[in-house]
Amino acid sequence: MKEGVRNVTDDAALRLYRALVRHDPAAAISVVERVRADGVQQAALFDSLFTPAMAILGGSWADGSINEYTFTQASVVADQIMSFVTPPRSAGDTGIAVLIGSMHRDLHDIDKNIVAATLREAGHRVVDLGSDVRPADFLHRAEETGARIVIVCAQMVSTARAVLRVQEMFLSAGRNDLVLLVSGGPFVADERLAREVRADGVVRGAESAMRLVARAALERLAEGRP
Amino acid sequence: MAERSQQVLLAEGLARQGRIAPAVTACYQALRADERDPLVHCLLGGLMLEEGFCEQAATSAARAIEIDPGCAAAYFVLGLAYDRMGGMWDRSVLVWQELAEVVPDLATAYVQLGEALCAASFADEAVAAWRRALEIDPREPRAMYHLAVAALKREGMATALPGFRKAGELDPSQDEFFFVLTGYDVDGLPTLGMTEIEADRTSRLRAAHAFAANDELFKAAELIRLVLGEHADDIEAISLMAHLYLKQESVNEAMACALRALTLSTHTPTAVYALGVAFARRPALADHAAKLFSVLTTMAAGHAMPHVLHAESLLALQRYSNAGEAYRAALALDPGCVRALFGQAAVALTVGDHTGAEWAIRRAAYHDIRRRGYFWGPYDAAAGGREQ
Repeated sequence: MKEGVRNVTDDAALRLYRALVRHDPAAAISVVERVRADGVQQAALFDSLFTPAMAILGGSWADGSINEYTFTQASVVADQIMSFVTPPRSAGDTGIAVLIGSMHRDLHDIDKNIVAATLREAGHRVVDLGSDVRPADFLHRAEETGARIVIVCAQMVSTARAVLRVQEMFLSAGRNDLVLLVSGGPFVADERLAREVRADGVVRGAESAMRLVARAALERLAEGRP
Repeated sequence: MAERSQQVLLAEGLARQGRIAPAVTACYQALRADERDPLVHCLLGGLMLEEGFCEQAATSAARAIEIDPGCAAAYFVLGLAYDRMGGMWDRSVLVWQELAEVVPDLATAYVQLGEALCAASFADEAVAAWRRALEIDPREPRAMYHLAVAALKREGMATALPGFRKAGELDPSQDEFFFVLTGYDVDGLPTLGMTEIEADRTSRLRAAHAFAANDELFKAAELIRLVLGEHADDIEAISLMAHLYLKQESVNEAMACALRALTLSTHTPTAVYALGVAFARRPALADHAAKLFSVLTTMAAGHAMPHVLHAESLLALQRYSNAGEAYRAALALDPGCVRALFGQAAVALTVGDHTGAEWAIRRAAYHDIRRRGYFWGPYDAAAGGREQ
């Protein structure tokens, strides 16, 4: 092997490389665990350990130190240990529960689906109530799930105006702690509509939903409420 | 059946050269000689469509179908004319269904049928049509793009993204971009027999690139091995090998080769590209892919593809507005970039801009049809059938 061992990381990369070409996943995982025990964070393992080991592997294949079969098998082992060295795929659980659904008599669900999936991917606990959801169901499910943030989607002016009934239901049940966010074309086109239904914010797409939910969660924390 | 007249052949030749006005004149001359020639009506319709005269195109195509109900190219022109006129989805659906009956193994007919059904709000039927298109031709990128958009609407970006990537890989533009980065004009390279290739590095690498461009991956790999046998640190050879591994879905081998090439020189766009593509196939490495593609936009300034790849990795990171900017940058460089247009549609959907999404998809369809020359396939089949 022509690669020089310059420091501890290089040494670990070389050990990982050797485990790969010996087709020994257990040894490879053991190298990863040792490096992690030395204080290297999970997010840094890929760059500091796996990448140099793979570069050495590529070099060995190119200079003929290992044959095609060994290269392929080493790559299979690399695949087996990939989850040990890559950063977590999705964001960790934020613990924030979000209720989302389309208003009663509104069957449009594309925006709702995209927002729900984005929030879920961002680590929030999303409860998707689907479309054509009655105002009372938003309240019942908020109580069932403990969600503090409710996103009501409406794509028609008539259903957008009807969101007021959701807010009235929350208030009559004494649930003024719930954050009501609204989403849909009518609210984006006419901001007064959101004020009319006493919404706490207007979701203008998936990224906007992430920002609003994060802000609402922070405000809850600042107020000392979960 | 009668052979094509000299006027028809003249009109065809002019049309193929893109000389629309004289081709139209030749068509009218041909019609004066034989008003009941469906191919001429069909060709005239195609030319009218090319120039944006959709109503005239529809009239000519309808006449061609009236004379010869089996004229597939005429259905194609008629369907496209209805699609482009807009608001005629009911007619459009019928035309594409008829085309699918006339030529059952034409994947494009199902792609177009899906688009018409989707525009008419028959979402489930549209998905079924695109799936049928992929059954007929598993390498049909536009059907895959549509299925990705449909997945986005139903299940969000995380589910849709693999579909966008798969469609991108089926789309010939990604491979074309790789060969642009290599600096080899693969279109001008002859694919020689293995014994005809000179035993020097330059000849072997040229031939390896030509084989790779023709999907003769094992021959290309054999030549790369010979090049590396003489000089193990040949960056071009290692980078090409990374690309070949990617083509064979061997992501880790590709990663190893690309990393080796970048160890030898960080200024290797082909290796940056290959490593980015390898990282992009692992959802957990989207951030890494985004950084590499961002570098590639500088390394290959003037090309749309790095911006598209960058945008897709930003989508995976849920940075939709940044992805939108990257798509806009790609479209500024290449307004006909089908992959960027579908991506732009996806970004539009994340902000609830359905009209913008629909417009981007229609533009994508328009450019895809133009770049792939769909008209001439059915036309030549009809003309060939007549010669027999």
